[in-house]
Parts: sequence; C-alpha cells; structure tokens
Amino acid sequence: MSTMGNSTNIFWQESPVGKLERQKLLNQKGCVVWITGLSGSGKSTLACSLSWELHTRGKLSYILDGDNVRHGLNKDLGFKAEDRTENIRRVGEVAKLFADAGLICIASLISPYRKDRDACRAMLPDAFIEVFMNMPLALCEERDPKGLYKLARAGKIKGFTGIDDPYEPPLNCEIELNQKDGVCPTPSAMAGEVITYLEDKGYLQG
Amino acid sequence: MVVLKSVRPAISCSSFGFDGDQLVPLHKVSFVNLTLPASLLSVRLSSRNNAKLSLVQATKESSTASTNDSAAVFSGENLHQIATNGKATNIVWHKSSVGKVHRQEVLQQKGCVIWITGLSGSGKSTLACALCQALYSRGKLAYILDGDNVRHGLNRDLSFKAEDRAENIRRIGEVAKLFADAGIICIASVLSPYRKDRDACRSLLPEGDFIEVFMNVPLQICEARDPKGLYKLARAGKINGFTGIDDPYEPPLNCELELPQKGNNCASPCEMAEIVISYLEEKGYLQA
Repeated sequence: MSTMGNSTNIFWQESPVGKLERQKLLNQKGCVVWITGLSGSGKSTLACSLSWELHTRGKLSYILDGDNVRHGLNKDLGFKAEDRTENIRRVGEVAKLFADAGLICIASLISPYRKDRDACRAMLPDAFIEVFMNMPLALCEERDPKGLYKLARAGKIKGFTGIDDPYEPPLNCEIELNQKDGVCPTPSAMAGEVITYLEDKGYLQG
Repeated sequence: MVVLKSVRPAISCSSFGFDGDQLVPLHKVSFVNLTLPASLLSVRLSSRNNAKLSLVQATKESSTASTNDSAAVFSGENLHQIATNGKATNIVWHKSSVGKVHRQEVLQQKGCVIWITGLSGSGKSTLACALCQALYSRGKLAYILDGDNVRHGLNRDLSFKAEDRAENIRRIGEVAKLFADAGIICIASVLSPYRKDRDACRSLLPEGDFIEVFMNVPLQICEARDPKGLYKLARAGKINGFTGIDDPYEPPLNCELELPQKGNNCASPCEMAEIVISYLEEKGYLQA
C-alpha cells in the first residue's frame, strides 16, 4: 500500500496496454517539448508551427498553452509566486500523462523560474526537451501581442515577467532559438530545428 | 461519397520520392497524382491499411506533388476554393493550425471521456483495463486516468476530505477534457461518489462526449471482494469516511450505461467492455 503524500490506501494500477503498445500504434515516442521564454517571444507561434509540421509527418501532438490551461485545469490559480509554481507543476504532471499516452506534448509557458522547470524535467527523465525562445526583451515588448507590456509599464499589472518579475533563462536547455544578425527566424524554420532534434533522438518513430 | 480511381502511382516505394527528376529521401511517404474534377466540393481520404493520407501542395510547374520546404498539408475543408479555379493540380498554399478534426483524421476515431463510477471493488479499474485492451486490438488509442494513478502525480497534494474529493474530480475532469480534445478515448476510472462533482465534469464536455458508466454492484459483493483490504480496515474503524461504509455513494440518475446489465450479473470484464465498445461504435466514436 502506498503512503505517498496526503493519500494513503492507494494502489498503483497496472494496465496491459502500456507505453510500448501505444508507441507502436502511433509510430512515435511520447515526450514533452517545453517551450519557455518571455511573453511575446513567440512560444505559442512556435508551438502551432511545430504541431503543424508534426501533423504533416503523420505525428500526433497536443499543445498545452499556459493561457489555455489557466482557463480550465488551473483556473483556481493566480500569478503569485506559489501559484506560478503550482501552475507549472500541474502542467508538468499533465504533460507527463500525455507523453505516457504516446503523444508529443508541446507545453508553451513563460515558466520563468528555473527551479520549477527543473522539477518538471525531473518528472520526465529522457523525455523532456527544453526549448528556450531567447528573444530580447525589447523585441518582445515591441511586439506586445496582448498589450500586456503596455499595461505593465503603466503600472496596471504588477509582477509582470521581464518588467518587474524575473525571467531566469535555462542553463542547459536542449534547444536555444535566437535571432540571427538581429533577424528572427521564421516559425517554420524554428519548428524545423525542433523536428530535426526529435528525429535525431528517435522520437518520430515507434 | 465518390470514389476517385487514380492512375497507377508513379512513385510507389515508401522511403523515396521525386523532386523533379531527383530521387530524394522522404519522411516515409508515397505520392499519388490525383486529377480532381473542378466541381469537387470536398475530399476525404481513407485507405484500407490505415496508411495516413494527406494532400500535398503541387508545384505550378508539374502535376506531381513534390517535397521541399514549402510543401504543406491541409484539410479537405478548403478544397472548394481550389476546385473552382479550374486548375485541378495546382493547389493553393494554406497554413493552418492543427485542430480536433485533424487529430480525428490521423487517429480514425473521435475523442471522448468514458467516466466509470462506482464503489470500491465494483470493478472500475478491471473494466477500464479490459476496455483499453479491446480498443487497442481495434487499433484505437485510449488512455486510462485512474483515481489511484492520478493521486500519485497531479493530485498528490489532495486528501480524501470532501473538498479535496471535489477538487480531485474537477482536475481529472479537466484533464480528461484535454485528452478528449487531443482525440484520445479517455477512460476515467474514479470512485467519484458525489453526483454534483460528476455532473460538473459532464458539463465541461460537448453533448455526447461524456459517457458515464455506472458499475452498479451491491455493497456486499464489493465488500466480499475487498481487493485492497480497505473494507476490512473501514469496518475496524481504521479508515474514516470510507465510501459505502461511513460516506455516501450517490448513484447516477441518468448515466449512458449501467453495468452489469440487468439479468446478466455474471458478465466478464471482456463482455462488459464489448458493451461499451458497441455503444461507442453506434455513436460514431470509433471512426473519424
């Protein structure tokens, strides 16, 4: 019997259809592509592009977007530090379930704190691919796709990442996407880089 | 439905294709050149051997689809625009995001949530496993969210107090919704004793996508089975608030399926799984 956490009397349930069977069915290996970066750095855009490129190759993926999830599973959470941590933890746990189901789960979240991202990595040994959208704050602010930087600068939002809350860049991510000579690569070029990585590591076959 | 008979494919091997005259390695795809009538409103592709079929952009220069960085795949919804321009083999570039319909096409099934509820020992997990196996043998993708499994991960911060039970169910419902949106047949096998909480999960999903299965097995049978020894502990007062003993179970008033079916108390897990499969087939969930 398990005495894990707050719930005792819980038993791990084995299922005859496991990860390997699902891999064979889908002809791919489940994993989590964790896209992190400032607001406006292009995370969601990359997620969509990547999902599309995978689809053209007959691969099944699913996007967990920080914003979408906060409307459903995480609607009880705010933006205080502890809520951000819980937001990331829950997304990590769900992404782990999707990866176990055999999908390429694309998690697209600011996820500003290194400790929280590393905790998700620890949940998914060998199946966590951290992609850092390393775009300068100035570029993100100029884009300001949701008008949030403007509100933050006007003091109408407090604790906004990049303005008055820190973003801790990854120290050891699998893929870092940067501007080249001051020009941002296209979404499909960046998706291509991620696809190449997934192919090399064998995720796009069963 | 119109069956299009194409000419014998010019390229029939699985790992190479043609880019002009050059043989180039592809991502394990084959190409078939189809001439589409201008009056065609939509195209739906299917193959006998579950091969994945997609339409790929044709270049303006040739009628053979080629792969290069600008190749795109798009769904049948946009073809009415293409068909009316009269150029059957030149297809307009279309960028799209992958939606539920695309995933359904890839998986050849529709995502939904099968919510199995009932007392401890009523056979929820056993049915879930049998159902998962039966679906897999039909080439369908299912995934089990088991109350116990989830409490080891996502819900490890929750206890069995009433408010935590409600939050446990809420979170499982939200995750099951995501899985169904992803195109997966999500089997949630959760005691879920309170009607209000199950109904709240039902309301998260589109009409018909929440399939409540009630394992209606009498308490005495569940207690006689006592697969985890929990009834014994509850009777000895070592567990408080145990459903069926000193916490209520509120049976569904309007579930889609009740098992075992009346007059068939000895149905095996496999037989019960087949009943669920028939329901899914009837309602169209086992096809795109």
